[in-house]
Amino acid sequence: MFFFRIMIMSFRSLWVHPLRSVLATLGVIIGVAAVVAAMAILEGMSARFATGFESMGSNKLYIMPAVQRRGHRTVGVFDSLKLADADAILKECNAIRTAIPQVMNAGLVKYFSKNTNASILGSTEQYCKVNSHEVAEGEFINRSDVQTGASVAVLGANVKRELFGGRPALGERIKITGAMGARGFTVIGVMEAKGNVAFTDVDKQIIVPVTTAMDKLYGLKAVSAIVAEAVSPDDAKIDEAKAQIKKLLRARHKIRAGKPDDFQVQAQKEFVKQFAMFQNIFGVVLWSIAGISLVVGGIGIMNIMLVAVTERTREIGVRMAMGAQRIDVMQQFLIEASVVSFLGGALGVLMGWGMAGMIENLTRLFETITTAWAVAMALGMATFTGIISGLYPAWKASRLDPVEALRYE
Amino acid sequence: MAALIHLENLTKHYQMGETMVRALDGVELQIQPGEFVAITGASGSGKSTMMHLLGCLDRPTTGAYWLDGELVSAMTDRQLAVIRNRKIGFVFQTFNLIQRTSALDNVSIPLFYARVTRVAELARRALDRVGLGPRASHAPSELSGGECQRVAIARAIVNEPKIILADEPTGNLDTRTGKQIMDIFHELHQSGVTIIVVTHEMSVALQAERIIRMRDGKIVEDRPVDRAEKTRGEEATEPATPDREPSPPMARRAKV
Ligand SMILES: Nc1ncnc2c1ncn2[C@@H]1O[C@H](COP(=O)(O)OP(=O)(O)OP(=O)(O)O)[C@@H](O)[C@H]1O
Ligand SMILES: [Mg+2]
Repeated sequence: MFFFRIMIMSFRSLWVHPLRSVLATLGVIIGVAAVVAAMAILEGMSARFATGFESMGSNKLYIMPAVQRRGHRTVGVFDSLKLADADAILKECNAIRTAIPQVMNAGLVKYFSKNTNASILGSTEQYCKVNSHEVAEGEFINRSDVQTGASVAVLGANVKRELFGGRPALGERIKITGAMGARGFTVIGVMEAKGNVAFTDVDKQIIVPVTTAMDKLYGLKAVSAIVAEAVSPDDAKIDEAKAQIKKLLRARHKIRAGKPDDFQVQAQKEFVKQFAMFQNIFGVVLWSIAGISLVVGGIGIMNIMLVAVTERTREIGVRMAMGAQRIDVMQQFLIEASVVSFLGGALGVLMGWGMAGMIENLTRLFETITTAWAVAMALGMATFTGIISGLYPAWKASRLDPVEALRYE
Repeated sequence: MAALIHLENLTKHYQMGETMVRALDGVELQIQPGEFVAITGASGSGKSTMMHLLGCLDRPTTGAYWLDGELVSAMTDRQLAVIRNRKIGFVFQTFNLIQRTSALDNVSIPLFYARVTRVAELARRALDRVGLGPRASHAPSELSGGECQRVAIARAIVNEPKIILADEPTGNLDTRTGKQIMDIFHELHQSGVTIIVVTHEMSVALQAERIIRMRDGKIVEDRPVDRAEKTRGEEATEPATPDREPSPPMARRAKV
């Protein structure tokens, strides 16, 4: 009750100079906005990566064509990885237990009058095991489908829903249009729903034999990646596997000593490490911004509170004459400082939230996630700043001599 | 100790560089409960200093002050604040209302620090007592000087103090409004409150029961006001000339 009345009192005195109050809290507003936005982005990215990586074993290696440069300009990627490379890796590298060639492309899919865009993944019968992603109905493509280049397709959960709704899809004929024109495929399976995996919506995918994708849909001579699994996730084994792959592919691609690779090998673990490092750097930058702007914000608040104490010296004298204890005066100004700061923080949260939303709409890479925890922490930080920076002005107010204060002009 | 206020050899000194100002210089004084006292004297004679000490806003340099049987000159800041809150009501020349808050909120301040509940009800009752109930929601800037001073009086009486201390309460008001204010003091006096008014207007001082005149931090005269004198004081419309030595004729005549 007492506290509540002080709150009302401080709202009133802030309302007397609304613009001044806002300017004084600008530091806090910006600081909190930056923190909230950055945390929403970080949180969103983490969520994306986490769902991707935990379902993909950390003994995975990605072999991709190297980026082709002319001078400093990137002009594309090499057409260096061949289907046969995947077989060779599996056969020759004893630190590797699986190697799946993949091509990934966009395609237009049609079932009678229904159309949809999907990503067409050319893969092998090993896909399910490596990605821990199973068929929900029907069956997956098998080894002979891959060998013969069969026109069979396994639909992602969303693709199935968009084309067939609730009706059965198995055995139906769909048309996929790739770079080489439209081709008919028989639906042999539907995958279970899985959502986003590392920035790819696997439910919007259609999986076809890699050979079919290369020869009949897109006319490709090279694969876009080879996904390999090391025999163990040990760092030593992963390094050994990388070394074996490099040696083998350089030999197969006839690259002379001293020339750069026309491919790159990245371990899943390194992605995770890189992301963790990025996350840490981002975190440090984030907290530095937060720290600096809260210090600046704190100075702003201390300044406005010192002005308020001077302006209201007489009021303080009157309050003391009416029986206010020193602690009452101190409390009044402390609460005022934290109220300004808290309100600044609240504005900052709104701004940060808006900023995160804007970034989400502009980049469309991931969803930003503003957690209640982040909001509570930002507000807590703002209020804490208010209390700390209000401390000195409030103390000054409470130490005033009542007689001097009453005489103050 | 029966006296409400008992001062014993009270001094208040201010060190101003080399010189020492004796704002109060050995004051002896007793005031009984229910008295109506006027303190007069030339500018700089120590009236306000006396008021601040009586009001427990300040501590004496030496000497003792008993208020209602308690030795307040030895109290801590915290205890003094409680005394000011419970036993004393202040009325100032410049009203000292908090701007931009309503009359009701201003009157609520002492209740607020007394941690009482029913704040609004008690504050409204105090405003009613000074005839400003209908103006409760008005801010000081929307009130006349006389009304502001009435709000200030309501604020002074809201905690039902034993003593009202008023330093030049009519100093910023015209004669007629000043009289209204003095009338309210009379009413409060009738209801048993002890009233101490600092003034250098003789017409105001004569409305009290007792006049204390100060000079150079000392009490130089302390006498009751007789009825005939009082009537003259009430009739006087012009403020008396500032009190200087030698005393103005009216005061000298009264001595005889
Ligand atoms: N804080 C202070 N520091 C130094 N001297 C002071 C202080 N307060 C009062 N004095 C001095 O003490 C003396 C008495 O001052 P006080 O204010 O009590 O006079 P007063 O009788 O109220 O005068 P006035 O009628 O002008 O209000 C004056 O000489 C004044 O200069
Ligand atoms: Mg004075």
